[in-house]
Amino acid sequence: MFWRNNILAVLLLCCTWCLATSEEFHEALTFRPLQDGRLATRFTFTTLLRGAYPRDPSTLQEEDESQHYAIFPLALGQVLREYAVTELHLTLNAGKWDYDHWGYPDEPGVGTGAELWAWMGESAARSVDERWKGLRNALSGQFCASLGSLDEQRTTSPELTFRPEGSLPQWGTTHQLRHGTLPSEHVCTENLTPFLKLLPCKSLTGIASLLNPHRLFDADWHGLGVHVRYLENEGIEVRLSFQSVFDPVRYSNGRRDWSLRSVFDRVIDRSCPIAHSSEIRVAIPKEETAVAITPDSYTTHAGFVYFNVSNASKPLDISMSWPDEQKFEYGSSQSRGRLSVSITNHMPITIQTSYLESMPWLLQFYLHSLQIYSNGVSRDDLISIVSYIPSVPHVRPTLFQAILTLPPKSTLHLSMDVIKPFLRYTEHPPDAQRGWDLPPAVLVPLLHSNSSTLDPGLSNPPSGFEQLRLPRRMYTPVLLVDLATPDFSMPYNVIIMSCTLIALIFGMVFNLLTRKFTLIRVSPEPK
Amino acid sequence: MKAVLFLFALVCTLWQCVHAQIPSEQEQHVTSFFNSHGGSTSRHTNNWAVLVCSSRYWFNYRHMANALGMYRTVKRLGIPDSNIILMLADDTACNSRNKFPGCVYASAARDLDLYGDNIEVDYRGYEVTVENFIRVLTGRMDPSVPRSKRLLTDDRSNVFVYMTGHGGNEFLKFQDNEEISAFDIADAFEQMWQKKRYNEIFFMIDTCQANTMYSKFYSPNILATGSSELDENSYSHENDRDLGISVIDRFTHHILRFMEGVNKTSQATMQDLFNVYDYEKFMSHAGVRSDLFRRPLDQTYITDFFGGVSQAEVMSPPLSLSPSSNEGSEPENVPESELPVELDQSLDFTSWISSDTNATSGACTKARREHAECQGVGVDWTSSCSCRMGWE
Repeated sequence: MFWRNNILAVLLLCCTWCLATSEEFHEALTFRPLQDGRLATRFTFTTLLRGAYPRDPSTLQEEDESQHYAIFPLALGQVLREYAVTELHLTLNAGKWDYDHWGYPDEPGVGTGAELWAWMGESAARSVDERWKGLRNALSGQFCASLGSLDEQRTTSPELTFRPEGSLPQWGTTHQLRHGTLPSEHVCTENLTPFLKLLPCKSLTGIASLLNPHRLFDADWHGLGVHVRYLENEGIEVRLSFQSVFDPVRYSNGRRDWSLRSVFDRVIDRSCPIAHSSEIRVAIPKEETAVAITPDSYTTHAGFVYFNVSNASKPLDISMSWPDEQKFEYGSSQSRGRLSVSITNHMPITIQTSYLESMPWLLQFYLHSLQIYSNGVSRDDLISIVSYIPSVPHVRPTLFQAILTLPPKSTLHLSMDVIKPFLRYTEHPPDAQRGWDLPPAVLVPLLHSNSSTLDPGLSNPPSGFEQLRLPRRMYTPVLLVDLATPDFSMPYNVIIMSCTLIALIFGMVFNLLTRKFTLIRVSPEPK
Repeated sequence: MKAVLFLFALVCTLWQCVHAQIPSEQEQHVTSFFNSHGGSTSRHTNNWAVLVCSSRYWFNYRHMANALGMYRTVKRLGIPDSNIILMLADDTACNSRNKFPGCVYASAARDLDLYGDNIEVDYRGYEVTVENFIRVLTGRMDPSVPRSKRLLTDDRSNVFVYMTGHGGNEFLKFQDNEEISAFDIADAFEQMWQKKRYNEIFFMIDTCQANTMYSKFYSPNILATGSSELDENSYSHENDRDLGISVIDRFTHHILRFMEGVNKTSQATMQDLFNVYDYEKFMSHAGVRSDLFRRPLDQTYITDFFGGVSQAEVMSPPLSLSPSSNEGSEPENVPESELPVELDQSLDFTSWISSDTNATSGACTKARREHAECQGVGVDWTSSCSCRMGWE
């Protein structure tokens, strides 16, 4: 009773307490109307724990010092401390990101299915592999996903492609990367439920109250991501993101207009009191047609319209419409035994990109058959192989990393022969006739080779490159490969047939050997 | 030498006998607490549920709906997500064939969405295997398996095990790939009994020839029910024209209809539930096996297995919650020091265990909001994936 009557005092206490322990929570929602009438949305929930350090792996033998969090998600923090993880990225995506029509995503991790990668420091007490196993099991329980099956048959260490996005503390030991993908993983409400429980305001107030699973999982593409990184001089940052691509034309009758109510079936009723900043950004489309945005209380900057959710009048429903438009009119291979990738460079300059292919052992490359064609001409000088770790069947996947040079305004076709081995019949999944999903290939554009330093993943490119807006990573679509499936009913048939034969043969032979025909005199019937 | 040993053994046995005959005062206190309100005669203190849908593929939508219907019932009656192990072999709600994304319905009228906004599936997809099911029951798992995937029962837990899928004479198919037999389940239950992992088990199964699955049990305190006899099929209840498949099975549908009339404080008994069985409605002979169950069915409450109701007492003097210097002392010896929080006598404790029928959508979040305002109750938020203390 006492607390209910003094809720304001309690909230004030909470806010000042949060500032004192230096944790910050920011939430943002970005809308970007796409050229084909769809709408790309991105929720970002960032919690920064100032002054914190990742756990030094050399202290894994001792008891950890106690951690006190107010806003930082405790469940995730405990997992990170337990396995001394410096950087962690987990994405759960469904659908295929159409780079041609949708451009580059704001969050680069758009590979279909589950993708988990982590940078961990080496430790003599517990090996990185052991901690990787514990980490993926803990995360599979936390997020209700089958991440526990990312065992050594699916784990690789592609350090060239997945550079750390934060800083790695200097402890005197090297950091190692572990990466695994499950392209056939489904994403549904049970993955969103624990995601929302990591937020300080849960899904009750603020921007997170818009996360309606019935609408989110109806989107043409959706994916949730958990990114943890250590920023030097700042602390540990956890960024929870949810990206999706909606189709307002499908919901309405042929119009591109959208609003929070029409997209999410919800509006924002209360703002999250713990958030330091809570804003919604809408990108103004770069076209000639007029666009109307309501409500009017926004600021404009650099092609974006900003709404401050904390100050806006509630309930807040943002909408964008094209009043002059009547109706909006709308505008991907696998060859047998050969893997092909085609990459198109639309830019007028040469681009170098690192190409990563990590293939499960059930598809083995014939590297000698690798062929590169650029606009129909064979150009072997355009590829330089950095590393190739061949697969070991039933043990280890293939890791193939190369640098490709893409000439300006051209298409590069890369292909090589593959063989599909036989699996043991216990290794087939229960729905074996569906086939196996292959993880996507990852391309990381690097700077032009004229610059003396090839630094992949540079977050601040030198002057002259800002307007190019190179993405950090691009993913190809996942493929489905058919492997030869055995006749699973064969053991049953063999047993039945051989038992029948044995019964018949044994019966016949036994009769032949032991049956004796004797004549019996039947006495005549008495008259 | 031998005489000394014999004498020692004799003294030991006499000592044990003497101590065993006098029940300690603490045991008497505990027993009288559990029998104080003339409530259920069961000796359990916590409830767990293991709900298994073992069929994959879109056309087995009704098996997923069966398991989710039981999940919703069990959550509504008070068992929290941390005490429920839900195993769904395929993804129906977000299946690309599902016309209603994120929703699973158990009736053609589509009046109730079983998936909701707040669901946790512990084992899904390829993880639903016979091996994982038996590991869950027996508790023999790799140390890295997280808490939410473990059945952490003790000898005072009542466990509700529900299985649905395609089955036959003494077997149940898992994902159209492998089978579990009645002997396997019986042995798993016996392991649980030996390790004191349950107080009572209620086993319910909805498949074809389901009654054969419980015919092999031999451990005590198991009550079992199945949907059809040997050589009989269990039938589905109704089809949905928009989804194009059957959405629920007859046995589970009628049980869920009955359970909608049961709430957390209900005094309905298991005999009332079994009186619902009717050949005309099920088109099959549903059976009950109660010879291993020591209590009479008309005194066994439904909430003993389906609900998470626990006994609570309102203490009349206010309770001191300060971290006292001597932690192991009796409550009466703790001095009433100046505290930041004192429990208000007028606080209505029964409102914490309110019968909220919307358990799957927002009750936990509502409770959490209330907790954020009252810091003195000492609820532990550190469990992953859900909150404890019986709210969800």
